[in-house]
Amino acid sequence: MLYCHTINSLSFKSQDCFQFLLGFTTPPNNNSVKPHFSCPAFTTQYCLAGKCDYDLVVIGGGSGGLACSKEAAQLGQKVAVLDYVEPSAKGKTRWGLGGTCVNVGCIPKKLMHQAALLGAAVKDARKYGWQIPGTVCHDWTTMAEAIQNHVKSLNWGHRVQLQDKKVKYLNLKGSLVDECTVRGVSKAGKETILTAKNIVIATGGRPKYPTNIPGAMEHGITSDDIFWLKKSPGKTLVVGASYVALECAGFLTGIGLDTTVMVRSIALRGFDRQMAGLVTDYMEAYGTRFAWNSVPKRVDKLSSGALQVTWTDTETGCEHKDCYDSVLWAVGRAPETKTLGLDKLGVQLNEATRKIVVGADESTSVPNIFAFGDISEGRPELTPTAIKAGKLLARRLAGQSTELMNYDNVATTVFTPLEYGCVGLSEEEAERRHGEEGVEVYHAFYRPLEFTVAERDASQCYIKVICERGGDQKILGLHFTGPNAGEVIQGFSLSFQCGATYPQLLQTVGIHPTCAEEVVKTHITKRSGFDPTVTGC
Amino acid sequence: MLLKITCKLLAAVSLRRHGAVVRRGSTMASGSETTRFDFLVIGGGSGGLAGARRAAELRANTAVIESHKLGGTCVNVGCVPKKVMWNAAVHAEYLHDHGDYGFDAENVKFSWEILKAKRDAYISRLNQIYRNNLDKAKIQTIQGYARFTDEPEPTVEVNGRRFTAPHILIATGGQPSVMSDDEVPGASLGITSDGFFELETLPKRSVVVGAGYIAVEMAGILATLGSKTSLIIRQSGVLRSFDSLISTNCTKELQNNGVDLWKNSQVKCVSKTDRGLEVTIVTKDPEKKNDEKVGTIEGVDCLLWAIGRKPNTSGLNIGSLGVDVDERGHIIVDEFQNTTRSGIYGLGDVCGKALLTPVAIAAGRKLAHRLFEGKKDSKMDYSSIPTVVFSHPPIGTVGLTEDEAIKTNGKENVKIYKTSFTPMYHAITSRRSQCIMKLVCVGKEEKVVGLHMQGLGCDEMLQGFAVAIKMGATKADFDNTVAIHPTSSEEFVTMR
Repeated sequence: MLYCHTINSLSFKSQDCFQFLLGFTTPPNNNSVKPHFSCPAFTTQYCLAGKCDYDLVVIGGGSGGLACSKEAAQLGQKVAVLDYVEPSAKGKTRWGLGGTCVNVGCIPKKLMHQAALLGAAVKDARKYGWQIPGTVCHDWTTMAEAIQNHVKSLNWGHRVQLQDKKVKYLNLKGSLVDECTVRGVSKAGKETILTAKNIVIATGGRPKYPTNIPGAMEHGITSDDIFWLKKSPGKTLVVGASYVALECAGFLTGIGLDTTVMVRSIALRGFDRQMAGLVTDYMEAYGTRFAWNSVPKRVDKLSSGALQVTWTDTETGCEHKDCYDSVLWAVGRAPETKTLGLDKLGVQLNEATRKIVVGADESTSVPNIFAFGDISEGRPELTPTAIKAGKLLARRLAGQSTELMNYDNVATTVFTPLEYGCVGLSEEEAERRHGEEGVEVYHAFYRPLEFTVAERDASQCYIKVICERGGDQKILGLHFTGPNAGEVIQGFSLSFQCGATYPQLLQTVGIHPTCAEEVVKTHITKRSGFDPTVTGC
Repeated sequence: MLLKITCKLLAAVSLRRHGAVVRRGSTMASGSETTRFDFLVIGGGSGGLAGARRAAELRANTAVIESHKLGGTCVNVGCVPKKVMWNAAVHAEYLHDHGDYGFDAENVKFSWEILKAKRDAYISRLNQIYRNNLDKAKIQTIQGYARFTDEPEPTVEVNGRRFTAPHILIATGGQPSVMSDDEVPGASLGITSDGFFELETLPKRSVVVGAGYIAVEMAGILATLGSKTSLIIRQSGVLRSFDSLISTNCTKELQNNGVDLWKNSQVKCVSKTDRGLEVTIVTKDPEKKNDEKVGTIEGVDCLLWAIGRKPNTSGLNIGSLGVDVDERGHIIVDEFQNTTRSGIYGLGDVCGKALLTPVAIAAGRKLAHRLFEGKKDSKMDYSSIPTVVFSHPPIGTVGLTEDEAIKTNGKENVKIYKTSFTPMYHAITSRRSQCIMKLVCVGKEEKVVGLHMQGLGCDEMLQGFAVAIKMGATKADFDNTVAIHPTSSEEFVTMR
C-alpha cells in the first residue's frame, strides 16, 4: 500500500526508467577501485579494519530483503542488495524487484481476488436494483495486463526507493564465498565480488512440483506463472489445499472459470478446523468443485492440446480422468537455498525442509551471516513478518537496538471468496494447551447486511472468540469469516497484542451496522449448546 | 394473570421478589384501573428493546410501549435502510470499476423501485423479528402513544389504558428537525431523512441542506445513485465536529463524487413551480461581511432537510412529572441513566448524547442489570465510542480529535501520525479515491487517544482498533502489531 502511494507521485513512465537502470552490474564505489580478496581470514580482518565494500550485503530483494537493506541504509550503513529471478520451470516466467509478494504473491493475488469479488458483486447488484443486460463476461487479458502493469510499476517503485535511500541495487545472483564475501553473477555470466561486515540471506522460496507424477512439471504451472499468463487459463485443476491453492481456485471461479481443487487429505492445514471447513463449504456453494481424498497420478497432453489428468480416489481406490486447459500445482513451497553455497560454509540447514536454521536474532550457525523470511526454518511465510524482522535485524546490526522480532500474535487473512481472518490459537491448539475445560469459546453465525438484500446465503459467516475459561478470560484466538475479513481482523490483532480479555471486547461499543461489530457482540458459548445465530440488530 | 393494583410495591426491587409473584400481561381494564409491571419501557427502538429484553431475561415483568413500528429509528428510518441504500450506491461505484477489472457490464440502469421494494420487505421482516423476540421473552407490547398522567405515582396512559411500574424507562428517541415556514418560507415543501425512505423514485434533482453526517450520507447516496445533487452548508466544510483532517477530506470527496457544494450558504426560501421546487439560496462571502449573493436551483424534486435531530418528548407530558430537560428538550440524566425523578430513567437519542444504536443498546442492558440484578455500578461508559459515517468512501473515527487532544493536554504533549495512500483496489481502476489515516497520541508513552480515517473499508476496520484504544493502547503497541498484507488497515500498524 505504501508503494502505491509512492508510485502515484511518480509522473514518468516506468518502462523508460527500466531501460535506464538495466545493466547496473558494475561494482560499487565507482570512485575507488579496490582489490577483492577471497581468503576468509584476510577478508574478516579487512572488514574489521572497516575496509569492506559494504557494511551489509543482502541477498534477495523481496519484502524482507528490501526492508532490511533500506532500514540499514537509513541508519547510516553502507548497503547493497542483490536480486535475481530464475525463470519459472514451466512458463519461464520472470519478474522484477520485490520478490514473491509483489510479483507472484500477495499483490497480484489480492487484485485477482478483487476481480472475483466484483464478479460476485454483479450478481448482488441486480438484487440492489441495478439492471445489467445479458450475461456479464470476463476478459482475462484486460485484467491480467492491468495487474501486470501495476506490478511493474511496483518493481520500479522499489528501485526508486533503493536509490533514494542510497542502497546499491545489483541485478545479480548472489552466493556466499566466505563469511564476509559474496559472489554475484549476472545473467550474462559476469562475476562481481563484494565484501561485507554482515551478510543477510533473504532469498525466499518458490513453489514446488511433485517429483513422482509423470507430466507434472512438463504440463503444469504454479503460482509463479498464473499471474503472468497472457491468456485465460481456462478450465483449471488446482492441486493442493493450502491457502495458496484455495485463493487461486477462488479467484478463478469468481471470474467465471470452471475450477476444481484436488485435495489429498485436509484443506488449510494448520488453521482452525472448523473455520477451514467453513471456507471450503462456502467455495463449494460458490461454484468451486472439490475432488476430496484424491491423489493425482499422471498428466498427459492430448492431441487436442487438453491436459488429461488421471487421479486416484484414496477412499474408493477408483481411478478417475478428466481434461483441463491448465493444471496448477500448489503443493507447497521450497526454500531457495541450493545455489547459495551454504554447505561449503557450514551454514546449518534443517534436514527435512532444507531451510536455514536460525536463532531468535536471525543468526545462522556462521557468524556474520543472518537469514530471515521464507528461507528460515520455523518462520511464518508472510510478508509483514519478513518486513518487520528485516527492519529489526537492520537496527541490531547497526547497533541501534537489541529488540528481537516477536513472531507470536501474528494475524493473517486468507483471501478466499469468503475471506477468513484470524489471530492467535485455533480451537484445537487452545484445547491442547489449556485443556477442553480450560477454554471457553464464544461464537456467532451472523448475516452481513450486504448479504440480506442480495439474498446471499450467509451460512458460513461465523465468528469465534476463544478465551481462557478462568481468570479474566484472556483471549487466546479470534477467528472471523466474512466480507473484508482482512480489514476487520487487523484492529483486533492489535487488541490481542495488548492482551485483550473477553470482558474488554464486550466493553467496546459496536459500530452499527457492520460485520465487525458482531465480534464485540458474541455472547453465546459453544459449551451452552444454544443457537449462536444472530437475530435482529 | 392480570394484576389489578391498589397495593403499593416497593420501589427498590430485590432479586427475591421476581420468582415470588407471577404477573403476566394484562387485559383491557376499565379507565380507573392501572396495570402494573416491574419495568415499563416507553419506546420500542434499539435502546428500549434491549433494556426490556435484558430485564425480562432477569425475570422482570416488562412491557414496551411503541407508537409506530418496532425497531425505532435504526431499523425503520436510520442505520439499516440507510446502509442498504449505501450498499446500492457502492454497487454503482463497483460498476464503474468492472471494466477495469475485465468485466463487460455495460448499459446498466438503476431501478429505485426494485431496491425500495426489497428494502421495505427486509425492514418488515426485521419488524416481525423484533415482535417475535418480545413475544418469546414474554414482554407485552402496547401499541400507541404514551402520556404521563398527573397522578402522584408515575403512571402512563396509552389509548385510555393506564400502566405503571416502579421503574419506567423513557427511550422515545428523536426525529429530524425541520425549518418552519416562518423561518424559511416554503420550507415545508421539503422532506427529512424520514421522507427519504418513503421516496418511490430516484429524484432527478436533489438539494440536501445540512453539514452533519446525515446530510453527508444522504447527499452521497443520492449523488452516487445518479441524482444531480447539491449540498447546502452554512460554513466552509462538512462534519465540523469531526477531526479537521476528516472534515476537510470529506468535503473534498463529496465534490470529487460530483456533489455540487454550496459553501457559506443558507436556504432563503422555497417555492413550487410547475417544473418542481425552486430553492433560493443566499451565499455570504466569509471575507467580506456584507457581500451576499443570491442563487437559485430550479427543477428540484427532492429538497431534504438534514439540519439536526430533536428529542421525542412533546406528547409525553413529562413537565408535570419533575423530569428535567435541557434547553433543547433532551431529558437530563446522570451517568446511571437516572432522570431527576426517582424511578424514571432515560436513555438513547431522547437524552441527546451519542445518538447511536449500539450506545442505546448497551445503556439499556446496563440499566436492566442495575435495576433487576442488583449490580449497583452497572452503567454505560460513554468514552471512546467508535463511529462510522457511510460516506463515499466511509469514515471511521474513535476518541479525541487533534484539536480536543491539544485543548486538554497542551500542544507539546500531543503527537500526530498521519498517512495517505491509494488503496490497492484502485491500483488498476480509473476511478480513484484516497485513504487517509490519523493517530492522535498523548504524553511520553504516546497513548493513542484518537483514531480517524476515511477510505475504502474504513467502516469494517474501526471496530478492532476501538477495542485496543479502549484498552489504552499506545503507539508502541500499534508498532508491535504485525501487519496483515495486503490490506488498508495494516497502514495503522506500520505508521512512522
